[in-house]
Amino acid sequence: MRLFCFRVWITVCLLLLLPSLGMAAVPAWQIDPSASSITFTGTQNNAPTSGKFKTFSGKINFDPNQLASSHVRIVVDMNSVSTSYAEVANNLKTADWFDTVHFPQAVFTTNTFHKTAATAYTAQGMLQIRDKTVPITLDFVVKEHSATHALVEGSTTLKRTAFGVGRGEWASTDEVQDAVKVNFLLALTKK
Amino acid sequence: MQLKNTENSYGMVTLILHWGMAVIIVALLVLGLYMTRVPVSPLKFKLYGWHKEVGILILMLAMIRVVWWSANILPVLPATLPRWQKMAAHAVHAAFYVFMFLLPLSGWLMSSAAGFPVSFFGWFLLPDLITPHEGWRVLLSETHEWLGYGLIATFCAHVGAALKHHFINKDNILRRMLP
Repeated sequence: MRLFCFRVWITVCLLLLLPSLGMAAVPAWQIDPSASSITFTGTQNNAPTSGKFKTFSGKINFDPNQLASSHVRIVVDMNSVSTSYAEVANNLKTADWFDTVHFPQAVFTTNTFHKTAATAYTAQGMLQIRDKTVPITLDFVVKEHSATHALVEGSTTLKRTAFGVGRGEWASTDEVQDAVKVNFLLALTKK
Repeated sequence: MQLKNTENSYGMVTLILHWGMAVIIVALLVLGLYMTRVPVSPLKFKLYGWHKEVGILILMLAMIRVVWWSANILPVLPATLPRWQKMAAHAVHAAFYVFMFLLPLSGWLMSSAAGFPVSFFGWFLLPDLITPHEGWRVLLSETHEWLGYGLIATFCAHVGAALKHHFINKDNILRRMLP
């Protein structure tokens, strides 16, 4: 009787586990910060000007063959903003722009992926900058993909005013245009 | 009035280049002194944008001016003029040509060093001459500033000499640059 009970329990447990065993878990990837980058390019006086975020992290669960179960969350440290002209970065941290004192992080989350070409995808998700969360779509290409390593490159174009980035007199899009292109390169290693 | 210079007078093209560029350059000097004192704001961005594209216009006009200068003779200076004054006049004119090139070029270089490329009135984008670099930006911005002060000093000497010849010597030096 005892033995029977034990067997019943084992069987029940295995039966409960079966659905998850039948499908391999979506692999988790770790970002290699030294080989990854997030940059942005705005337009002032009809000329482009760029900067980057030096610090960001992410939880990346992605498998090209299991898009429906893939999900990604990227967190950007807004205080790590850097521009070749340092004064510009200092201005971007102020209350009228990123307001990094009150909103030190920007967060992008997505679990909606679509394949658009052999190695090209789109990700529809929510991006939070300051206190505004806005749906965005980004395009990316999986440039390299092996069992241990992946290289992903992509971009999206944001409207800065949708996030309240550039308030007051800066809300005018004559001198600093609304559209800001964000480019990213993620070098990933499988956990 | 003829287009080209003669031994006694300046031609129409030289006159237009001289006075047109004089007005633009004085405006650039005033704008440059003013805009650098404006706190960071959209207005400051707008003023810098104007200063940069008009500065590049001056660089283009300076190239035309050199071509025109090389294709023309210069009216001779009065024989009564002392040798040192002739040399001073030539030195001031040479300095203006140097400033007409070095000021826009140093401005273009500092824009590249700052990572703020120059658009020419939205028509086209100027290529970056150097990659962004904070050290170069500071050095070039100081160079640009001191070239500007040098131009103001040269401008004062030039205008002072022209007025002195007109009102004290009562010769035709200033009049021959008038229409």
